[in-house]
Amino acid sequence: MAEYLLEMRGIVKEFSGVKAVDGIDLKVRAGEVVALCGENGAGKSTLVKVLSAVHPYGTWSGTILWQGEELKASSIRETERAGIVIIHQELMLVPQLSVAENIFLGHEPTLGAGLIDFETMYARAAQLMAEVGLPEINVALPVSYFGGGQQQLIEIAKALNKNAKLLILDEPSSSLTKTEIDGLLRLIDGLRAKGTACVYISHKLDEVAAIADTVTVIRDGTFVGTAPMAELSVDAIIRMMVGREIKNLYPREAHPVGEVIFEARHVTCYDIDNPARKRVDDVSFTLRHGEILGIAGLIGAGRTELVSTLFGAYPGRSECELFLDGKPIRIESPLRAVANGISMVPEDRKQHGIIPIMAVGHNITLSTLSRFAPRVLIDDDAELQAIHGEINRLSIKTSSPALPMTSLSGGNQQKAVIAKMLLPHPRVLILDEPTRGVDIGAKYEIYKMMFELARNGMSIIMVSSELPEILGISDRVLVIGEGQLRGDFLNDSLTQEQIMAAAITKTPLAA
Amino acid sequence: MNSIATYLTVLFTRYKILTLVLAIALIWILFGYLTGGEFLSPRNFSNLLRQMAITGMLASGMVFIIIAGEIDLSVGSLLGLIGGVVAILDAHYHLPVVLTIGLAIGMGGLIGLASGYWVAYLRVPSFIVSLAGMMAYRGVLLGITGGSTIAPVSDNVVLVGQGYLPFVVGDLLGAVLFVVLAVVSLRSRARHRELELPVAPMWQDVAKLAVTALVIIGFVTVLDAYRGVPIPVLVLLVVMGLFTVMANRTVFGRRIYAVGGNLEATRLSGVNVQRVKMLVFGLLGIMCAFAGITTTARLAAGSPSAGTSGELDAIASCFLGGTSMRGGSGTVFGALIGALIMASLDNGMSMLDVDNFWQMIVKGAILLLAVWLDIATGSKR
Repeated sequence: MAEYLLEMRGIVKEFSGVKAVDGIDLKVRAGEVVALCGENGAGKSTLVKVLSAVHPYGTWSGTILWQGEELKASSIRETERAGIVIIHQELMLVPQLSVAENIFLGHEPTLGAGLIDFETMYARAAQLMAEVGLPEINVALPVSYFGGGQQQLIEIAKALNKNAKLLILDEPSSSLTKTEIDGLLRLIDGLRAKGTACVYISHKLDEVAAIADTVTVIRDGTFVGTAPMAELSVDAIIRMMVGREIKNLYPREAHPVGEVIFEARHVTCYDIDNPARKRVDDVSFTLRHGEILGIAGLIGAGRTELVSTLFGAYPGRSECELFLDGKPIRIESPLRAVANGISMVPEDRKQHGIIPIMAVGHNITLSTLSRFAPRVLIDDDAELQAIHGEINRLSIKTSSPALPMTSLSGGNQQKAVIAKMLLPHPRVLILDEPTRGVDIGAKYEIYKMMFELARNGMSIIMVSSELPEILGISDRVLVIGEGQLRGDFLNDSLTQEQIMAAAITKTPLAA
Repeated sequence: MNSIATYLTVLFTRYKILTLVLAIALIWILFGYLTGGEFLSPRNFSNLLRQMAITGMLASGMVFIIIAGEIDLSVGSLLGLIGGVVAILDAHYHLPVVLTIGLAIGMGGLIGLASGYWVAYLRVPSFIVSLAGMMAYRGVLLGITGGSTIAPVSDNVVLVGQGYLPFVVGDLLGAVLFVVLAVVSLRSRARHRELELPVAPMWQDVAKLAVTALVIIGFVTVLDAYRGVPIPVLVLLVVMGLFTVMANRTVFGRRIYAVGGNLEATRLSGVNVQRVKMLVFGLLGIMCAFAGITTTARLAAGSPSAGTSGELDAIASCFLGGTSMRGGSGTVFGALIGALIMASLDNGMSMLDVDNFWQMIVKGAILLLAVWLDIATGSKR
């Protein structure tokens, strides 16, 4: 038996002359949890694609030893048969199919003649779901019936069904709640005890610290180091990842907060599928000039629904009274919102933020294009000048604004989306999970930008699931729980515990 | 050697259109060889362009529909309907030509906007809306013509489809076009300097203009060697020019690409995406009117079967021309090159007396291969 279950040595993968991964080593023992850390664009996903043969053997150089023997897989099927299973950041489940059908997708037990053996399938699926800690769920229900956390566990059950010896989890917790994350970590711990190894890729270093035995850090496609977690601290990992020390992740600056400029009264949203159910229930709040207002709450509490209503983008039925400078305004579409000086950077960058094949520059000017067309034609040069201005202001890293949006890393895409929504010079900027899937360097830059905007008088509403971020950035914090306003706190000596307590307590707390 | 290969790869990926131009050149050389040079004669070149004009008009409207992520199957029937109405207004009511054409264009635009309204505001998928239109418009046409050909139409209408520009006018338009392009290029250099943006080296712009001049002179000379620039070809060229500027340099054009690239993201950027979609259908309706007028003028009659399966040629031209099935990318120039490829195949094979059924099989196969090639070379990234 080899010392390592998996040993990747000196992996190099080039894309048309550019080395995305340049000489990376990754070693995993049986029953070990290795955290793979690195900023976005560091080469983590490329490395995972090499390992899983999405990039087949021969398209990269270096060696992969699997259980001591060289692995020369040419497809995912082969690596899965060997026992290497990846769970991608975006879950690969078919929402319309049942839990059991998803677990067995491509490996359906049959009665011969192509007929599916449903009895075996349901029985085995139920057993697998019990193994991942969800013994009570009905495996015949469609996957769309379950929330993100449960879907994540269904993915893991699917992996277990393939007899995974090595599970690779790519940012598994990015859309999970705290409780769900705890459950996930417990499950990984349990799997480790049974000898299943795991490569855990995450930006959330507290999770890494909680679960990993060993940490491997890569930066800009190169290998930085591997060390046992016991010898590391979160700060040390951040240092390795960014190559510099970020003293304080939240560069909080004092900035004056003025009079109330925006007010939302009685915001109520109804569920799209079930119009009787209120997703947001009579929420009222105010926003001051130059204020950063954090909106905290559990996932699914109605925060995104609340802010998209303010922006005229909630797809279902909603009611609200909005006031800007004390005057009532009506916002029935994002177009009206932008015209009234309200901008929103949506939560789901890929679905709602970027236009993937369009040039970075054209993405940036999308909401303000008419300004560059005084008569009929767009003044290309004035537009390009504005684009360069935004690229410099937000330090968006791109070799040319004419490249498609997909050529940027997640953090830079996010900055470009923010640039797009800043160009209309809004008075109220809504940021829904502005740093989700963004690396630490870009996060820091986004925070700095927020403070600069606030100092110049912009009012910002930030929805975030990360409590340290809420506490590190906000002047005031609203807590939403089950669609209701559960708390409105000034952020001085406020603690994560207070926010959590407000989010899960039924009776509203006094400020 | 290797570096040349890399350079060429980059060139062809960046300027996809080069591949298409190369394909046209190959097809022309092949037919030229097989027909003993007859295919490449000025007379045939003129015919070829006239043949592609109608499909080209439909394709230059269709390409924006596909870029916006929609489809329109009704264009063949709408072409027929408008062509029929033109014939009736002219042959039965003897309206002045200008009025007839104006009414036809208005009718095309309104019907297009109506389809667009169903798609954008009432949220019926464009496939269904246009399939319904395809059936209904043809039905209306059969109803108003009583199923028989409307003839004869007046000479003035015929001129629109069969006329040629006087040589002097053709030459003059060519010269004007060149001067406009040269002035635009010079002004853009000055503006770049003013805004301190990078300015391309002078020789590059001069070389571009020289090539443009050669193309214009070559084009006009060859057409003059027969009977001059055909009027439908002139219409098509003007449409191509206007639409290219619209696609690249206007807010509306940019928004069409944005809507097709990601509808939700565009809406959340504060763009009225429904209006954009509706207007794109209106634009296609106007192009159907042009195509309908030209068809009636060419046939010198309104035929109840005019434009049958015209939508398929137009859609095929767009895809041959590199328009993405998923929306968000494509060019008018590409779609027109696609239409030219289709017309070249028709024309060349007819000259070679290839049976009609073989022509259809060959065109189908080429469409399939071309799109496959596009996918196979495009997914390398």
